[in-house]
Amino acid sequence: MKTLRFHYHMELAFSEPVHSHVYTLKCLPKTTGTQRIETCAYRISPESSVREGADSFGNRMLYGKAEEAHSLFQVDVNGTAVTDITASCEEQEATDCSVYRYQTPLTRPGERIGELLARCRERTGELPPADRLRVYTEAVHESLRYEKGVTDIGTSAEDALALGRGVCQDYSHILLSLCRADRIPARYVVGMLLGEGESHAWVEVCDGGRWQGFDPTNNVPVEDGHIKISHGRDYRDCSINRGVFTGQARQRQTILVEVTPV
Amino acid sequence: MEIELTRRAETVNELLARYGVKFGIYKDNEFKEQLFPFDTIPRIIKKEEFAYLEKGLKQRVMALNCFIRDIYGEKKIVRDGVVPEEFVYISSGYLAPCDGVVPPKGIYTHIAGIDLVQGKDGSWYVLEDNLRVPSGASYPMIAREICRKSSPDTFETYHVEDNRDYAKLLRWTMDYVNTGGHTVILTPGRYNAAYFEHSYFAEKTGAHLATGRELVVEDDYLYFVDYSGKREKVGAVYRRISDEYLDPMTFNEESVIGIPHIYDVYRKGHVALLNAPGNGVADDKGIYYFVPKMVRYYLGEEPVLQNAPTYLPYYEEDMRYVLEHFDELVLKDVAEAGGYGVVFADRMTAAQKEDFIALLKREPRRFIAQEVIDFMDIDILENARRTPRKADLRAFVLMVDEPIVWKSGLTRFSRDPDSFIVNSSQGGGFKDTWVLSQ
Repeated sequence: MKTLRFHYHMELAFSEPVHSHVYTLKCLPKTTGTQRIETCAYRISPESSVREGADSFGNRMLYGKAEEAHSLFQVDVNGTAVTDITASCEEQEATDCSVYRYQTPLTRPGERIGELLARCRERTGELPPADRLRVYTEAVHESLRYEKGVTDIGTSAEDALALGRGVCQDYSHILLSLCRADRIPARYVVGMLLGEGESHAWVEVCDGGRWQGFDPTNNVPVEDGHIKISHGRDYRDCSINRGVFTGQARQRQTILVEVTPV
Repeated sequence: MEIELTRRAETVNELLARYGVKFGIYKDNEFKEQLFPFDTIPRIIKKEEFAYLEKGLKQRVMALNCFIRDIYGEKKIVRDGVVPEEFVYISSGYLAPCDGVVPPKGIYTHIAGIDLVQGKDGSWYVLEDNLRVPSGASYPMIAREICRKSSPDTFETYHVEDNRDYAKLLRWTMDYVNTGGHTVILTPGRYNAAYFEHSYFAEKTGAHLATGRELVVEDDYLYFVDYSGKREKVGAVYRRISDEYLDPMTFNEESVIGIPHIYDVYRKGHVALLNAPGNGVADDKGIYYFVPKMVRYYLGEEPVLQNAPTYLPYYEEDMRYVLEHFDELVLKDVAEAGGYGVVFADRMTAAQKEDFIALLKREPRRFIAQEVIDFMDIDILENARRTPRKADLRAFVLMVDEPIVWKSGLTRFSRDPDSFIVNSSQGGGFKDTWVLSQ
């Protein structure tokens, strides 16, 4: 069990002022079986009327519209979370995990993923799912070299694996693809990691009615240093920021996450 | 029997052209508006026969509505093993953002267009259930109006159910689920294939015709903004744009014809959307196979209307049948619509067959196979002579507190004598559908 203080900062810098900027943000962690959100406050600038809601996966959403011209859009979330993965047995959510059994356009396996799965199967044989997952996680970790800027949000698992390089999103998509090809329900998770950095992504698999996290980027099972923000079938269900605006500007997104033990 | 009206064919078609009864087609990336050719010989359905269709259609749409509610809710039909899970989740019509969202009054299938054909032996078969944004009711509506003007005597002689009440039924359907506010028909704009219909319905029902630009979301409600900038709350939207383009914040992010956050307003129950997003899961060609089973499962009744005999290569037994009887079947790609992705096995070359069978074995879930129904031909007038053509019937079922079947329908025919494909996007023509009142 850990008590963590988190600070999430996202900013969009526009090359020219934009207006009528409509946005949906999925950046608020929620209380689950393995984490309790004790405090959580947000600030969005420019200020506008913001609504709260939840999507069909149960993720918290903030949405609104910044009407006036602005060149900088900023979101800050501050709070504390108590994480405890040993509590996961009591988790009530998601008894129906069917939707996570099926591939999406981003996770659909091709030849490379097929080969990787075949190689893993030589080692896993008839092991139970949790053990197979450790093999898959390690295999994904070893198949990719961490490198920013070589893939983007539209890169599929198969393409990332063929490239051999990528970021946490690519590691996660490949692991999802392997799990689903093996008929293990698996979902994409966005969250924050102890320390300083960007937002992070990992995978949760449903094993015996209980969701367990695996982090293929770091080749570790998810522990108390991970704070979960959202989950879905793939990156698209969890994108932290969706927006449309009026104006001919280029935008640059920066995300800074800081998680410290209390 | 010679109907006086058929002697007025030229006048009728001139009037239809003048009223702008057109259908848009994209060909080679260019938008062209074509007149939708009208044939004055009506399809005539006797009173008793229509009563039978009506019973079957009501039952079918009730079951489809139950299915959609179940799929986005408890998923009992999947748990009970009646519909295999993958047929739901792999369907392009299944939209995860709709899970757990209950529309006003629990209605998903507000306006359904059920395509039927009549076999040579007189029995009817359902070919497709169109539940997303079925179009076509405006054509027989305006054709009837013009036919009555061109040949009033015809309607003195024959006892035909008046079909000009469609606007009233549609208005009732929209008002029934309205959450408080104006009623809007949302069109992608004048370059849409069915723009004539959108504007005609707006005129006839008194609803506002709007594009996405005239609708805005503010503080969890939807507003119509008129030319002066005045805002009016909207309670019901009969949207004639597909789910993917409805809201860039939930569905396709690239959509510029949708309304950002309209789905969030809907999710909170502050506006009704007709038809409900996500109901494409029930008009999937793969799911079609299961509709008679749905009737039994949800209503505990035997289906009145039958499907065209259909095989699902997904099931081994059916795959075997399909391979053995390949040449007698028509194969349909479940992801396609509008007459695309339909192939008749007996028209393939040997090489095409081989490729197709390989594809079928690789992706069995992607196709359904059907017996080719020998349609009952209907006469059309060609160069003032009666000649037989293939035709289908799109019946419209509107859902209020219970389903209502419109006493008319769109009869489409193929102008090519060798073709079975009647879709207007493939150049077919249409007829009025008369339901006799005595």
